[in-house]
Amino acid sequence: MTRPDGAQRPLPEITPLTEPFWAGARDRVLLLQRCARCRRFRFPPEHGCGYCGSPEFTWERASGRATLYSWTVAHSPHLPFFMERLPWPVAVVQLEEGPRMVTNLVGVPVERYEFGMPLVVDFLEVDSEITLPVFRPADS
Amino acid sequence: MTEAVRDRAAIVGIGSTRFARNLGKSELENALEASRLALEDAGLSPADVDAIFKVETPGEEGNSELEIARNLGIPQLRAWGAAGYGGGGACAPIVLAALAIATGVASVALAIRARNRGSGGRPWARVGTRVPGVAAFEVPYGLASPVQQIATLARRYMWEYGVTSEDLATVAVVQRFHASHNPNATFRDPITVDDVLTSRVVADPLHLLDCSMESDGACAVVLTTAERARDLRHRPVLVTGVAQGMGKRHYMMGGLVYQDDPFDFPARYTAREVYRSAGLGPDDIDVALLYDVFTPLVLWQLECYGFCRRGEAAALVREGRICWPEGDLPVNTHGGSLSEAYIHGFNHILEAVRQLRGEAFCQVADARVALVAAAPIVPSSAVILTRQ
Repeated sequence: MTRPDGAQRPLPEITPLTEPFWAGARDRVLLLQRCARCRRFRFPPEHGCGYCGSPEFTWERASGRATLYSWTVAHSPHLPFFMERLPWPVAVVQLEEGPRMVTNLVGVPVERYEFGMPLVVDFLEVDSEITLPVFRPADS
Repeated sequence: MTEAVRDRAAIVGIGSTRFARNLGKSELENALEASRLALEDAGLSPADVDAIFKVETPGEEGNSELEIARNLGIPQLRAWGAAGYGGGGACAPIVLAALAIATGVASVALAIRARNRGSGGRPWARVGTRVPGVAAFEVPYGLASPVQQIATLARRYMWEYGVTSEDLATVAVVQRFHASHNPNATFRDPITVDDVLTSRVVADPLHLLDCSMESDGACAVVLTTAERARDLRHRPVLVTGVAQGMGKRHYMMGGLVYQDDPFDFPARYTAREVYRSAGLGPDDIDVALLYDVFTPLVLWQLECYGFCRRGEAAALVREGRICWPEGDLPVNTHGGSLSEAYIHGFNHILEAVRQLRGEAFCQVADARVALVAAAPIVPSSAVILTRQ
């Protein structure tokens, strides 16, 4: 993803809280936190449940199925990595389990984005440490 | 509790620097200039001031209460504090000052906002190669700046409620018309809907003229007790309602999409509290100063503050109701952030005071009650000001 002479893609800082999510992505698995008390899935990772306040949770494998909630196509100004690749579409998807994620779509041009289109998770390996969950059309 | 604050504090002085892309001065120098002008406007001196309240945002150079007090020659401060959340904190210095004055903790307070975002660059662009916090799940995908975050939400809103780019553009056109009467406005040349739609796309569906331009500048407000205000130079403007607000599982604006309902903005909670605090409702508002960094926010606040139901704000705009002088709810009569200057919503407080004093450039006839609302999409604040 990074050209030798180009800007580097900004990447997530991994913390003890978020490490399981990124470890899962490396293994091509989408993991979500699930509250041990109220059983609700949540994203992004938090120390406590925003619904019921419980600090107890497990990491569970998501189905990977989602629908397209919304998107933008970013033009200038942007961060250097994206400036070299404008226009840059960004998507928000609604996971089957409930939470939404910011992501990129692969395998579909932005002209064919549609609200509610069915998607499935895919994985973009950026380097040996970071793999970003992305989504592609379910019928592709 | 709310009765203990209502109408106890009054705004007795306002001041501001010029507004420009680059004033060539530090935030501290601008804060001092605005503060001196506000005290002069009130007929008070730095020796009268015993409290300072501000807004602070990470990434700004800042101006501490200590520096302001020292450079103005204030002999003693008994209370101070800085509210967070940037544009959401726009009204918070007035809220905090009113609380301090109502409880007798302070007698004369300065509320200040200084912001060199025009010359100071964009905090969102200072991200390193590793992104911390919740943004770690957004920036690597290319969702980095406020306009991109709001554009994503705006697209969904437009689709759900049949709102068009023309509707958003109309907000910018109305506010530019207001600004054309305001000699202090950065942008004064009237624009058309077509001008907005043909301006370059920054983050689809938002165009350049849907966005405010980053500015340098500072604004200051002097508050004291309602009793003391009666003996001062100007007709007092009472702080009738005050509120801060955020709700369950709320995020900063990049994270609105994580909420169960992304349109359950902090402003909904702020609105409820500010009306309760004031003992007033939407029908009582004569002029509304709404946070307008991007055009969709104006529509969202018209809904959150109860001027129409959810999804109906575009109709209200189409009917001309937010445009002075014909509209029954003139909005951002100084031009707002879109046309006067982007001082993170604090310049809107000064316009509310001018309206209630009868000194506005687009004066609303017999304006008695003004609502000032801070950024609706982050932990927010609002005040209702009234003419005594």
